[in-house]
Amino acid sequence: MAEKVSASFRDPSGFMFKRDGEFYRQVNHSYKEDFDMLMSSGLYQHLSKANALIPHQEAELDLSPISDKAYKIIKPLQLDFISYPYEWCFNQYKDAAILTLSIARRALEYGMVLKDASAYNIQFHEGRPIFIDTLSFEAYKEGLPWVAYKQFCQHFLAPLALMAKTDIRLLALMRNYIDGIPLDLASALLPKSTKLNFGLATHIHIHAKSQQKYADQKLSQKELTGKVSKQALYNLLDSLLTVVRSLKVKTIMTEWADYYQDNNYTESSFEAKRDLVADFIKQINPKTVWDLGGNTGEFSRCASDLGISTVSFDIDPGAVQQNYAIVKSKKEKFMLPLLMDLTNPSPSIGWHNQERDSLKERGPADLIMALALIHHMAIANNVPLREVARSFAELGEHLLIEFVPKQDSQVVRLLSSRLDIFPDYNPGEFKEAFSEYYTILDEKPVTGSERTMYLMKRK
Amino acid sequence: MSQLFSFLMKPKQYLDPGAGSLIIQVILGVLLGAGVAIRVFWKQIKSFFTGKKGADAEFDPTEIESSEVIDITEDQKDK
Repeated sequence: MAEKVSASFRDPSGFMFKRDGEFYRQVNHSYKEDFDMLMSSGLYQHLSKANALIPHQEAELDLSPISDKAYKIIKPLQLDFISYPYEWCFNQYKDAAILTLSIARRALEYGMVLKDASAYNIQFHEGRPIFIDTLSFEAYKEGLPWVAYKQFCQHFLAPLALMAKTDIRLLALMRNYIDGIPLDLASALLPKSTKLNFGLATHIHIHAKSQQKYADQKLSQKELTGKVSKQALYNLLDSLLTVVRSLKVKTIMTEWADYYQDNNYTESSFEAKRDLVADFIKQINPKTVWDLGGNTGEFSRCASDLGISTVSFDIDPGAVQQNYAIVKSKKEKFMLPLLMDLTNPSPSIGWHNQERDSLKERGPADLIMALALIHHMAIANNVPLREVARSFAELGEHLLIEFVPKQDSQVVRLLSSRLDIFPDYNPGEFKEAFSEYYTILDEKPVTGSERTMYLMKRK
Repeated sequence: MSQLFSFLMKPKQYLDPGAGSLIIQVILGVLLGAGVAIRVFWKQIKSFFTGKKGADAEFDPTEIESSEVIDITEDQKDK
């Protein structure tokens, strides 16, 4: 049974569908010429060789759910996890923007142009961004401006500029504005000093004004005195590349990024915990691991170092950014660091609430890891243990969870500034609450602490 | 010219490129063109005096890294 994927319904060139758990892309007859050009011009070969564009194979036409429109069916490389821009750290976002512009530039060399520049066209695969929309290319027509310029500014430049110049947390706006941050809003939120920055002044501030000015106006010859040459398009892309590259976030001094330097682990107990986690992972032998509250990925790497596809979620942009820096420097292929507030995880958004999946809909993972997390859920966020168990059980098949008792220094710290209203927060109640949703397979003490590690399988 | 733009604004494009977003590109075309010319000129002057060529172009993720290319298409075929 083939099922259309609701993320790609806007594009008349084709759509994604899923059959027997695998993703395919239909190329409609209407996109025939552009698709043939992509494949025969050498652009596809170039980009897929550079790992910039997702590679695909041709598949049988009769796989299509609407085969009368089908020119070709392609089966792209299957990705382990789909992430969204509002889950990326600053540098992931920046790399995605640079990739998009570089592809647009490269396409021009082959006589094609990127017809859209949506941030959702980028995914992370083997530690690097990759462009996934094979149907985004069309033949370049001399003299035309870049149709995706507005979209690029809304999807990439505005969020990056806001994160770099105003506040890193403004990334959350992407969760609300599915077609990118409106430029007039970005312009209003950016500090005045950015009007002196040539790139931001033109591509955001003046661009926003220009949009306002011409919003209801029909374009007439009088207003359009110039023609946008191919060289002008190159210049535009280069100018965007320059401004994107210049955007940086200050060293993010956030709560958790220096956690491991700042806590009371000794080196030997740290090693022991790592061995314990690795042993438990090997017992389950999962294909996918989600490490919830993974910080900089220290323990997530127990899984990814074994070649297991691992997503390491954390609420702290600084920690995710550090994790991504490690992925890049070590060229790690199995680790994907992402930003996620587990008390308010990514919802399903967009048309019919089906365009972008919630975190839960992207699961279940084979193994959920929740190390040194339970006290943040139960004590810092007042989530009852039963609720934590129910939520974790919906995300994955197995659970590796560390119980952090009240006498642990981290919990003492959490409780130091507030009234202890958690009489049920103890190992006995913890096991009882989790047993409602899970069978406990194994439990072991964490050496050098009073914590216990549990391996569970959901009922 | 107006034909050019009316072509862009027709429903053939499934994205609305936005009139203002197109017009600003015409303006930027002139501005950036001048900027590039000045930069190239400046680099030439600089390299004439220092004898050095300009710094290498920045990292381009669409550049094929010969040492690292893993042909994923081939991998998939084996599966």
